[in-house]
Amino acid sequence: MAYLSMGEAHRRITEYLNKFSDAVLYQDVTSLARLFSFSSNSPSLLPVADALNVFQDANRLIKQSDKFSQFGEILAQLLRSLQSYRLGNLVDSYQAFEKFANAFIQEFRNWESAWALEALYVIAYEIRVLAERADRELASNGKSPEKLKGAGSFLMKVFGVLAGKGPKRVGALYVTCQLFKIYFKLGTVHLCRSVIRSIETARIFDFEEFPRRDKVTYMYYTGRLEVFNENFPAADHKLSYAFAHCNPLREENIRMILKYLIPVKLSLGILPKAWILEKYNLLEYSNVVQALKRGDLRLLRHALQEHEHQFLRSGVYLVLEKLELQVYQRLLKKIYIIQKQKDPSKAHQLKLEVIVKALKWLEIDMDLDEVECIMTILIYKNLLKGYFAHKSKVVVLSKQDPFPKLNGKPVNS
Amino acid sequence: MATEQPKPATEDVKIDLFEDDDEFEEFEIDEEWEEKEGKEVTQQWEDDWDDDDVNDDFSLQLRRELENNTEKN
Repeated sequence: MAYLSMGEAHRRITEYLNKFSDAVLYQDVTSLARLFSFSSNSPSLLPVADALNVFQDANRLIKQSDKFSQFGEILAQLLRSLQSYRLGNLVDSYQAFEKFANAFIQEFRNWESAWALEALYVIAYEIRVLAERADRELASNGKSPEKLKGAGSFLMKVFGVLAGKGPKRVGALYVTCQLFKIYFKLGTVHLCRSVIRSIETARIFDFEEFPRRDKVTYMYYTGRLEVFNENFPAADHKLSYAFAHCNPLREENIRMILKYLIPVKLSLGILPKAWILEKYNLLEYSNVVQALKRGDLRLLRHALQEHEHQFLRSGVYLVLEKLELQVYQRLLKKIYIIQKQKDPSKAHQLKLEVIVKALKWLEIDMDLDEVECIMTILIYKNLLKGYFAHKSKVVVLSKQDPFPKLNGKPVNS
Repeated sequence: MATEQPKPATEDVKIDLFEDDDEFEEFEIDEEWEEKEGKEVTQQWEDDWDDDDVNDDFSLQLRRELENNTEKN
């Protein structure tokens, strides 16, 4: 660090404090937010941080003037956090930041208008990423990482401040999205429920009035939750919303939406066009799609095996595994059409024996009883219309629409 | 599924931090964008793929397989 005189350090700190009190006085939210955008505004904050490490008694400066002392706790903790941030003590920096943030929302609560909302967004974002970095520091010292959980509790408090009636409510969805990111990372997604309920049952505020960036993020995360719940029509609705409204330039986000939307669509009998898989680099789904088109059970199994780790990690493995019934349906339909071309009069009778042979060709060893079992399931799930003649070991297909399409509806469960 | 060798590293993995591989990228606070055209949306999916066409390679092989077997019987 270049030499920094005491006088210069004093000047920098006073300037920073003045910027804060002016921003509040004139309700200049952009200038205000910049003062605690640690992660994105460090070039202009680091000189102040350096000054704090030279001029150790910044608290005296705060106390000296009414202009600053009315925000005493806010400013003292903010400076402390910035100083520790500069020194790379992220746990200390986080702790001070949380105290600063708590003091800030006390003030914020008293402001009638929502002028400072953007500053609160920055706090909500910064506290999350700072907590993640603090946790990394804790973990590398063999201590238990707990700051991200703490940031979650803080943001719940912020949500409470915003979620009521009034002009601040428009900010509630941003905070919700930050909470989702925390809960998904910590694996505590059940905690999303209470915020979702508060967002979705509110009669006083129309969802469409929230900013678009927050609506897209919200629909992405709640869509993923619906995938976990195996509620595919709801997942389709939410993820399709995110897909349709996402910034087209945000290709990585679109890719993540599709990573979940594709298995959901498949489970509803709808396939993505090939160019989507190519454009968004989701080729792990190519063979799954191909297997459905062909009725190729072997290909489906191979595709699941090949990308097992990936599919398990994102939680879509079980969704994809259930596509097997649709692939059976497709295979039977092909056998039926082939028979029909040969001898239309007998086509609606599918001999179990023939199915066993087709499966054997696909390297799936099943005996008559097992195949009978599968047929029963297909009939029960309305993927196959007809009945099973146990004695003659034949599936007698309905003459009308023997292979009902899903048409966007989930397989009966 | 093949049973895997127990991994000695499991302990470390637990101490390691939680991750979400699919964390949505943050939009800028003031990020604006144009909505996609509705036309493009409809060209992304197909729900009419379950046709009666059995002339693809897979179906041709399936037909051959089924015919072979019937002859043997």
